[in-house]
Amino acid sequence: MAEVQVQEKGGKGGKVRSKKQNTRVDMTPMVDLGFLLITFFMFTTTFSKPNVMDLGLPAKPKDETKKPPPTEIKLSNSISILLGKNNRVFWHQQDATSLNDQTLMETTLDREGIRKVIQQAKSRAADQTKFTVIIKPTDDAIYKNFVDILDEMAITKSEQYGVTDIKPWEKAIYEKKVGGAAAPAATK
Amino acid sequence: MAKVKMSRKMTSIDMTAMCDVAFLLLTFFILTTQFKKPDVEQIKPPSSISEKLLPDASLMTINATPDGKFYFQPVENASERIALLDKMGQKYGITFDNNQKAAFQKVQAIGVPMNQLKGYLDMPADEQKNYKSPTGIPMDSTNKQLIDWVKESLSVNPDYKLAIKGDVTTQYPKVKSLFEGLRDIDFLKFWLITSQEGKPNE
Repeated sequence: MAEVQVQEKGGKGGKVRSKKQNTRVDMTPMVDLGFLLITFFMFTTTFSKPNVMDLGLPAKPKDETKKPPPTEIKLSNSISILLGKNNRVFWHQQDATSLNDQTLMETTLDREGIRKVIQQAKSRAADQTKFTVIIKPTDDAIYKNFVDILDEMAITKSEQYGVTDIKPWEKAIYEKKVGGAAAPAATK
Repeated sequence: MAKVKMSRKMTSIDMTAMCDVAFLLLTFFILTTQFKKPDVEQIKPPSSISEKLLPDASLMTINATPDGKFYFQPVENASERIALLDKMGQKYGITFDNNQKAAFQKVQAIGVPMNQLKGYLDMPADEQKNYKSPTGIPMDSTNKQLIDWVKESLSVNPDYKLAIKGDVTTQYPKVKSLFEGLRDIDFLKFWLITSQEGKPNE
C-alpha cells in the first residue's frame, strides 16, 4: 500500500495530467446529432396535424308546423352560385321567371372569377349587411368545388351563406347550358 | 506563448449541459410524437385557406373515398370502443366474442356493412390493413349505417367531435347524403379536413 502511494506521488505531474485529458469527451458530434433529431421530431409533430374547416349545418325542423316561414331574400341582396360538372361554376341574381340562358353567367373558381363576382355583387347590394350567398351544388359537383366555394366565403368575408339544393327551374337552364356546351365538343 | 495557451483553453467549451438539454428535448419530442397510421385508401383532401389545426379532442373521422365509399374511424379510447361495438351489436342483433372485441379495439377504420363486420374482425391484423371494402359503410336513404355509427358513438360519449375527410374527387351527392343524415340526428357542428394552402394576399 505504502509503496503504491509513494509511486503515485512520485509520478503525479505527468499521470494526473493525462488522466484529466482522458475524461474530457468531445461532445460536439453528440450535440449535433441531438439537435438534428430534435429538429426532425419538431417538424413531424407540427406537420402531421391536418387543417380543418368549421362547418355548421342548419337544424332540421322537427315538424312542419314549427317551421319558420320561408325567408324571402331580395334578389339584389343575394347571389346564387351553381356548382356544375368539370369544375364549372355558374351564378345568377334572377328568379324563376327571369332566369334564362343569358342571365345565367359562367365564371371560374379562382381569384379573377368567382371572387370578383361575389365582391361586385356585394358592393351592388342594396343592404350589404344582409347580402346572402346561396350555394347550390348540382349532383355533378365534386367535394372539392364545395370546399373551394366555402373557402371563397371565408376570403370574401361573406358570413351569410346557405347551402341548398338546386331548384328545378335552375336545373333546366343549367343543363341546357352544360349540355349545349358539351355537345359540340363531343362531336368534334 | 501565454496568449496561445489562453485561446486554446477557450476553444473547448463544456458541451455537457448543452447535450443534456438537447437530449431532454429530444426525449420529449420522441414521446409526444404520434405517427400517422396508414390509411386504408388514399384520400387527398382539398386545399383551403383555413389555418385552423385539427384539435386533439376525442375525434371520430369519416373518410369518403374518391369512389364514394365511406369509412368510419371510431375514437381511440379502447373501453369506449367496446361500448360502441356493444351498442351497434345490440342495434343490429349481432353479438361479438372477445376476440372480435379485441380486434375492434385495434382496428384503424371500419369500411364494411354491419353484417360483414364479424368476418372482417375475424381476419388477421395484417389482412385487415390491406382489405379494401368493395362497398364501404352503407349510407343511403334506406340504410343509414354510417349515421348509426355516429349516433351510437355519441350515445357512448356526447363530447365526441366529428371530422370529415373527403377526397378532392368525391361526388357531391355522396357528401350531401352524409350531411343530410347528420342533420337528421341533429349533429350539426363538425370539421372538414383540408390541406394547407397559402392565404391569398389582397
